[in-house]
Amino acid sequence: MSLTHLNARGEAHMVDVADKAESRREAVASGRIRMHPETLALLADGELPKGDVLATARIAGIQAAKRTPDLIPLCHALPLSKVAIEFRLDEPTSSVEVSATCRLNGRTGVEMEALTAVSVACLTLYDMCKAVDKDMEIGEIRLESKTGGKSGDYRRQGMSSPIVTGASRRADPGLALDTAAPCIHIKCLAELRERLGVSDLDLPFEALERADIAGLKAALTAKDPRFAGLNEGRVLCAVNQVMGGDQTPLTDGDEVAFFPPVTGG
Amino acid sequence: MIRVQQEAFDAGVEQQALLQGRSDIGAVVSFTGLVRDFNERPEVTALTLEHYAGMTEKALEAIVEDACGRWPLQGVRLIHRVGCLTPGDPIVLVVVASAHRRAAFEACDFIMDYLKTRAPFWKKEHTASGNYWVAERSSDHQDAARWEEACNN
Repeated sequence: MSLTHLNARGEAHMVDVADKAESRREAVASGRIRMHPETLALLADGELPKGDVLATARIAGIQAAKRTPDLIPLCHALPLSKVAIEFRLDEPTSSVEVSATCRLNGRTGVEMEALTAVSVACLTLYDMCKAVDKDMEIGEIRLESKTGGKSGDYRRQGMSSPIVTGASRRADPGLALDTAAPCIHIKCLAELRERLGVSDLDLPFEALERADIAGLKAALTAKDPRFAGLNEGRVLCAVNQVMGGDQTPLTDGDEVAFFPPVTGG
Repeated sequence: MIRVQQEAFDAGVEQQALLQGRSDIGAVVSFTGLVRDFNERPEVTALTLEHYAGMTEKALEAIVEDACGRWPLQGVRLIHRVGCLTPGDPIVLVVVASAHRRAAFEACDFIMDYLKTRAPFWKKEHTASGNYWVAERSSDHQDAARWEEACNN
């Protein structure tokens, strides 16, 4: 794999795309801006001093996608056929999720346009809300998917809105510990995952003073106060995919899932 | 037969598949649950359904097994969708076949009541005024409790 923006001498150059076949190309990027819950509430109610925040950020994102080659040195100017910006107000994480979709029939991909659109939409959200909240944080700007072109389709694995929660075991880097030691594998699902900000993590078995669910909750809370949330409201748990309770015994290698009451059907 | 899938299903096709080549079935009851455009808030524009892969299938199997122990059933098909759905989309299908209608009606009702209170699925609703995780309903628990009482009598 080589970097196409570098020539044989390692100098930056613009790739000649004249001989590439035209194909329908689409890219989706996303990002997030976290803010105080009060700011999010003002935004949702349209009560921020600068006016309609989302409409302004949407136009900013669309404009930015069209100006991408002015900002990114080796990008081609592309006749985009579609730029769509969407916002999702996420109360549990007190943030706005921004996603941008760019499309064209052409010879080069549109992921830089989608990423630029998301970045500038996030910056505009910051500008529109900064009068009431200067602590806002922009982050997680990334490509979600890309279709068309020679290099094939790309789709980010297991990152956004995991509908199949059991599939990937990804430890929270902030809490990851030596996984070679005997461990309990813990999952937080659905609303609980968003409320605690934790999806998967491993805890050494020896960290448990009592080898049961109550002992696990105590060990988790001692490690990170967020886990006090496991005792707030109705939180259910399953050990090795069988419903359990505080007294359910644990052994090394068990998978423990915590989740809110079920709402299927 | 139990399936958890993202794809849509065709209730007619599933019912036909269940009845294919059978002449011992005297009654078939089919229930399809759909996404409504109003729930806890009006103007629901989309629904995300999450599940706990592995445990979900086991929970559904246990519910169907329980139903087969309570009624003389000749076939059950249970399909539940996950992922992003929009109003009008089918979410869940329960098809129950039996020799007589009462067993089929009751077993279908029972499977839905238990599914709603025991199978690890979670709904997040997307509306014009924001997104939220759907809360459990006490009426669903009351509905499921009817079968416990029926068992104790």
